[in-house]
Amino acid sequence: MSSAISVRRLTKDFQIGIRGLKLRAVDDLSLEIPRGQVYGLLGPNGCGKSTTLKVVLGLVSATAGEISILGHPSATAEARSRTGFLPEAPYFHKFLSGRELVTYCARLSGVRPSELAAAVEDALGLAAMTDAADRPIGTYSKGMLQRIGFAQAVVHDPELVILDEPTAGVDPVGSAAIGRMIHAMRDKGKTVVLCSHLLGQVEQVCDRVAIMDRGKLVLEGRVEDVLARRDRHVMTIEALTPAAREAAEAALAAHGARVTSVTHPRRSLEDLFRELVTGSRDA
Amino acid sequence: MRRYYAPGLALLLVVGAGAFSEISWRSVRPSIPEIGRKELEPTLGQGVLLGILGGLRTVVADLTWIRSYVLWERKDRPGCEALMRTACALDPHSRYFWENTGYAIGFDMAHWEIRRRGGYAKVPAETQQRIFQQYARRGIDVLNEGIGHSKAPAPLLLCAAQLAETKLKDHALSVRYYQEAAESHDAPWFAARICAIIMWEDGRKAEAYRWFRKYWTERMLPKEDGFPDDLGQLRGMEAGLGLKPEERIPRPSWER
Amino acid sequence: MTPSLQRTLWISRVTFLEAVRQRFFAFLMVLGAAMVLSSVSFRVFDFGHGELKFIADFGFGGMFLFGSVLSVVMTAQLFFSEIDNKTALTLLAKPLSRSEFLLGKFFGAWAVLGVFVVVLSGLLGVVMWAREQELVAMAEQAGKVPVTFSASGMVQFALLQWLRLGVVIAIVLTISALARTFLFAVVVGSLAVVAGQLQWIAQDAVLKPTGSILYGAFLWLSTRLLPNLQQFNIGDALVLGATGVPAEAVAEVALSGLAYMVAYLFVGTLVFRRREI
Repeated sequence: MSSAISVRRLTKDFQIGIRGLKLRAVDDLSLEIPRGQVYGLLGPNGCGKSTTLKVVLGLVSATAGEISILGHPSATAEARSRTGFLPEAPYFHKFLSGRELVTYCARLSGVRPSELAAAVEDALGLAAMTDAADRPIGTYSKGMLQRIGFAQAVVHDPELVILDEPTAGVDPVGSAAIGRMIHAMRDKGKTVVLCSHLLGQVEQVCDRVAIMDRGKLVLEGRVEDVLARRDRHVMTIEALTPAAREAAEAALAAHGARVTSVTHPRRSLEDLFRELVTGSRDA
Repeated sequence: MRRYYAPGLALLLVVGAGAFSEISWRSVRPSIPEIGRKELEPTLGQGVLLGILGGLRTVVADLTWIRSYVLWERKDRPGCEALMRTACALDPHSRYFWENTGYAIGFDMAHWEIRRRGGYAKVPAETQQRIFQQYARRGIDVLNEGIGHSKAPAPLLLCAAQLAETKLKDHALSVRYYQEAAESHDAPWFAARICAIIMWEDGRKAEAYRWFRKYWTERMLPKEDGFPDDLGQLRGMEAGLGLKPEERIPRPSWER
Repeated sequence: MTPSLQRTLWISRVTFLEAVRQRFFAFLMVLGAAMVLSSVSFRVFDFGHGELKFIADFGFGGMFLFGSVLSVVMTAQLFFSEIDNKTALTLLAKPLSRSEFLLGKFFGAWAVLGVFVVVLSGLLGVVMWAREQELVAMAEQAGKVPVTFSASGMVQFALLQWLRLGVVIAIVLTISALARTFLFAVVVGSLAVVAGQLQWIAQDAVLKPTGSILYGAFLWLSTRLLPNLQQFNIGDALVLGATGVPAEAVAEVALSGLAYMVAYLFVGTLVFRRREI
């Protein structure tokens, strides 16, 4: 079976000014994104990850290289009809209601009229936007905009969903909701490509990650493999007294091991925040 | 090679559309006599462009005419004439503009010119006569152009006839204009009689009688009252020519 | 209906909704309508053209002026709002081709201008009809021939104006597909309209023989590349019958407008295909 996205030796140059100076945004990038996984594309601002996504989606032409989506050349209607896309900081026509927007996008994505109502309801449900679906988009908060953007991206039940900075500017509760949507897509066997520089979120939801810097791929692999330090171990101990600690260190030293640090485990501020504001929605 | 197909087709379509518009333009051009007139060229910067570009021609023509009044008051001949001609060019179907432009150039502007040269006391009579004739000819030229655009040209023909008669002293020309005015569909009742009188006074007595009699018989007699004053004029001509009773117009029942 | 046509119509529909909700559209529509209605009170300035001609001229002027402004500014705005707000990213990432997007924008904007033309010409027709009734009564009393206007001529004129505005929209979309900024598109679009209104000068010149090959080539090229927008301004002849227009000539002008639209939209699509969003 072909990869969800296959990028081979992609290079993208932008011409600057009338003198034709070239800025290389993506430099000889090769990438295989397997199907059915949540794939994180990481990197600092300006590293070329958004450009890569735009080239994949056919919004920008490649200077060199080949790209295919689900076995089809990218930028073809066939490839795009099986792809959903949520751009960074999405903006939609304010005068449309959420339901109208999702219906509009469903029709553009080729959803048949007979399946339209069900598809729209499913997408709104998945994005937890059913209650606010009939409000004009102009009244939505940023989190709701991201969620309705997610709904329009998945309304035609695509096999591949590409999310560009889906949680940028969204509070942790909204961010967690988007995380749940991503997991729901993975559970349905979809491939999700997540482009972000929020490392904590990527770590939580992604199966594989690729890190880009200055247009080049610097690291790629499973999250566990990439993050794990095989020469270090962490133990969590309850009721550790000074005497017990000394004894444990001595016992470990007898086997050639050495304790390098002892700290109290911390919960993340995000976990604390979500615990405190549980139940609140970003209305 | 294939990459040139689409740009080639685009060029073909644009050139084709341009070529087709040449055909449509030839067909529709006579319906837009307002544009392409030389009179507009010197005044393009005076808001007239708007009228040339598209709608509002009548409105721009009216505003131009109002401005020409200001210059008429100041007796600014070049400015006034330019604006009046601009108004005519912007709305050539307006008889009012042609008529008043013809009058203003043919009658008023000659006086302004004489005054500009020092007045009637200073300018020799021959020069005055030359100026009157020069402006009368210009006025008649304007009127001739207006006659070509007007559906009801009688007032313009009468104005040209008056200029020819009083300023050019060209009675033959004046008679031609009066005859044309009398024979137009909107002819005023007096045009034929004046025409006949001028011909008569110019010595073309028999011709004047023949023409006026034919005109009266065909166009006046069938009307409600039969125009008794004109019949009276014809009777006078018959007497002047010494016509025998059988050669005269048969007496209508209503004639006193 | 083919899926491609359906997608195009959906883009048109949303474009139309977006445009009619704009204050700019409402403002120009009200201004145009006010101009038509006020023509009745301005007729004291009329110098014997005939009142109907004066009223018609006001209406034609309003349609030309505000229609041109609307078709240039609104079309550029509708295009650049999608690009600048990045809604185009969302839409073009779907199985929607660039030509469908551009055609959708065209038909949406053209439909809005259709509403504009129908409202203004309808209003003008009503105003002229009302005044015509009074003038006919007055002329009958005075034993004169009344001046009337042609309702079918008004319909033909409205259709030609709509076609003219369609050509302008197609040109502005082509320029927008190439332009980087809204301002550039508006300025160049406006210049294109002025050039189109004055193209007849070259068209008239090209019909006359010229001695210079270079001058002849320049004239030929400018008449081929620039549209002749003046040929649509035959309102006087159509509505008031001043000189009359043969039906074949009206049909030729209409076909010429359609040919221009197809040509410029094709060019616009080619340009837009190469644009990086």
